[in-house]
Amino acid sequence: MSEDILKVVDVTKSFEGVHALVDVRFGVTRGHVKALIGPNGAGKTTLLNVINGLLDPDRGHVYFRGHDVIGMAANEISLLGLSRTFQLIRLFTVNNATVLDNVMVGAHKMLKPTISSALFFRASTARQEKAVREKAMEALAFVGLEEERDTPPGTLSFGNQRLVELARSLMAEPELLLLDEPASGLNDAEVERFIELLAAIRQKGITILLVEHNMKLVMNISDEIVVLDFGKRLAEGDPAAICTDPAVIEAYLGAECGLEGGEG
Amino acid sequence: MKTLGRIWWIILLLFIVLYPPTLGGMSAYKSGIMIFVGIYIILAVSLDLLMGFAGQISVGHAAFFAIGAYVSGILTVKYGASPLVALIAGMALSGAVAWAVGRPLLALKEYYLAMATLALNEIIVTLIIGLQWLTGGASGLRDVPSFSVPGFSFDNHVHYYYLVWAMVLLVVASSLALVRSPFGRTLVAIHSDETAAKTFGIDCAAYKVRVYVFSAMYASLAGSLFAHYMGFLAPDDFGVLTSINILVMLYLGGIGTIWGPALGAVFLKLLPEFTYQFQDYELLLNGVILIVVLVFMPGGLFGILKSVAERVNARGSG
Amino acid sequence: MSELSTLVQFFFSGLTSGSVYALIAVSLVIVYKVSLLICFAQGEFFVIGALTMVTLTSKGLPMPLAFVLSVLISTVIGALVERILIRPIRNSSVGNLIVMTIAISLALRGSALLVWGKESHILQPFSAGKPLHVLGATLQPQVLWIIGITVVVLFVIWFFFERTTLGVAMRACAENRLGASLMGISTQKAALLSWAWGSGIGALAGMAVAPLLFMQYSSGLMPMVKGFIAMSIGGLASIAGAVVAGYLLGIVEAYTIGLISSQFADTIVFTLLIIVLIFKPSGLFGATRSREV
Repeated sequence: MSEDILKVVDVTKSFEGVHALVDVRFGVTRGHVKALIGPNGAGKTTLLNVINGLLDPDRGHVYFRGHDVIGMAANEISLLGLSRTFQLIRLFTVNNATVLDNVMVGAHKMLKPTISSALFFRASTARQEKAVREKAMEALAFVGLEEERDTPPGTLSFGNQRLVELARSLMAEPELLLLDEPASGLNDAEVERFIELLAAIRQKGITILLVEHNMKLVMNISDEIVVLDFGKRLAEGDPAAICTDPAVIEAYLGAECGLEGGEG
Repeated sequence: MKTLGRIWWIILLLFIVLYPPTLGGMSAYKSGIMIFVGIYIILAVSLDLLMGFAGQISVGHAAFFAIGAYVSGILTVKYGASPLVALIAGMALSGAVAWAVGRPLLALKEYYLAMATLALNEIIVTLIIGLQWLTGGASGLRDVPSFSVPGFSFDNHVHYYYLVWAMVLLVVASSLALVRSPFGRTLVAIHSDETAAKTFGIDCAAYKVRVYVFSAMYASLAGSLFAHYMGFLAPDDFGVLTSINILVMLYLGGIGTIWGPALGAVFLKLLPEFTYQFQDYELLLNGVILIVVLVFMPGGLFGILKSVAERVNARGSG
Repeated sequence: MSELSTLVQFFFSGLTSGSVYALIAVSLVIVYKVSLLICFAQGEFFVIGALTMVTLTSKGLPMPLAFVLSVLISTVIGALVERILIRPIRNSSVGNLIVMTIAISLALRGSALLVWGKESHILQPFSAGKPLHVLGATLQPQVLWIIGITVVVLFVIWFFFERTTLGVAMRACAENRLGASLMGISTQKAALLSWAWGSGIGALAGMAVAPLLFMQYSSGLMPMVKGFIAMSIGGLASIAGAVVAGYLLGIVEAYTIGLISSQFADTIVFTLLIIVLIFKPSGLFGATRSREV
């Protein structure tokens, strides 16, 4: 019996009179890929921010692996096994940081580096670094970017930057991966690649909650879909059901989506 | 960060060791200049850790310079403490102050942080001036003894030169080690994007405080070395203008490179030696230098040197 | 002096410095509202305005003419600084912008040092006259000038930003860039104008108070910082808040110096700033902003 790794319960959030989220409630089964779709402004990113700990809701609970994470700091929630990518790319670019540096940051929670480890325990730190570097190279190989390891991320193509973000979030060995519109700005070939990668990630047993507009990606990879509109849960179910749901079609899809559908 | 080749370290070491006997550094004046340079290198490098790597702007770094200097001065002059103990006490107090105000202060952003650090600097200076019975107030603290460790006193300026530069090498080497370590990588993450950093489990506030404390302690070290060299302390040397001076060194040399700020300190401390007649122009020059760097050469002097070196290398291997 | 007259004396002192702080705070707010920048160099216009007027009057120019010219010169310098040094790096990081305004303040102060030297200069009061006596306390006529100038400046600001098209457009710039450009003002022009306003007002503050102080090239830093303190207390983007906070700061400072301790008055004021920044960074009049992601 698979349990819900994530349970969102009656989450409500308003900003200066705008109801961004209203009693949102759904669960994500461990090991599944669940897509969160809906029109712009429906509250999808806001919801991710609440789950992630970057935003506190007015009401409601979010249970991650059984813990109520509302009120916990974002970095503490991350330590529980949550990783996330962002809608706007947030790679580290100052101080000549390279792609490899970016990916290695993903392993922070394993290292928890200190000043004394840098200055005094040089040998063991060096050993740890070597292990982290190897793991980072594996993550880069997974997304196919080993050759770009010394490149400053700002010079990479958009699609490649997204892949670096993905590699970085995998380094943390998450149990749940939140992806915020990872396919936005990608061309068809890149989307195909992404579908393959997500399938491989799913095979590793990592649960994915995916916010996405690209219906091709959504249809090809999701086990379930939940639809948000005006901050409320509009529908939830498997892809076939969602695709033919008249309310969803009216609010967002426009037409029934076949498996070759493009943008919603 | 690329490492400076071994050969450069050796050249640097040779220069430092040989300066007194060969380049006329035996004179009090000439070794004095280099002692000043060394002290400011420590200050600039310590600020670089905070501003260049952790990305936290500070317009009041001289606050910790002041704490180190005055703790060393007061404990040795008024209480007869050993300079070594006073130095450590100064670093401890600076670290404690940084730790106490660090968390709320570093939670502030940009303009607020800049003003708060300025305010902290002013608080320390006004306290120094106000607590006259302890610090000598505006007229200053006199008769600070030479630095000494059990068994050896650094009365000789050349000896003190070597001590100061040993400290400089320690500070530079440890700072380089720090920024190249995973801790340094974490700082870069925080500097780049705190929100993203948090999603990797990074407790941004804690790391910022840690580097603040570390940087404050190094500034305090510089202050103690300053006190024992000058023998006399005046509050004017520790105000916001000094903090801004350090900032200019940072940018001129190349912020975020450790070597850059060191270079900036050397340049700005040696420049007056050659432009003595133009002393009054120093202030204007500082401003112009900073403007030029910001607009035309954000990588500073170090950035220029690096690109020159890269071009030479490319031509050599091409 | 009797108890009451002492207290009244402090009050006048507080009104004087309060006017200066209010004006500088307002000038900072205007620049901030329109170009989202806090100008570290504001104190230098304070000095440049005052010292320019000193020079012009010492060369024999009648005071009103010197007054107007000094304001104009400072305004032009402010506008030039924005155009030449700030606009090119407009899109830099905030850290870089902060350091740039610091650099500008160094350059301006350094220039002032070269032009006027290290000596202190004193300006003639705007009107000859004996000090007044109010409730046993002495009131210099110049203080009335200071308050008068402050009131006039505030009125002009109010009129400009509330009643003229250009002013309203500039305000719109602060809130909505697209809307502002539809109203016929580019953000670049608005930023330039805001700096002109800022430097002009800063200069006025310096000129108004110069007869009461010894002004030298370095006199600008403290007023600027105190102006920022007032701005922070009043709410970063509120002109009304800046005025109230400026006077509050001036008066509290005067009473602190007089009644508690003159040595630690500055310590107390700066500690107050840190406390305000930490606990209510949006100031007493500002709205609290929600966390942005």
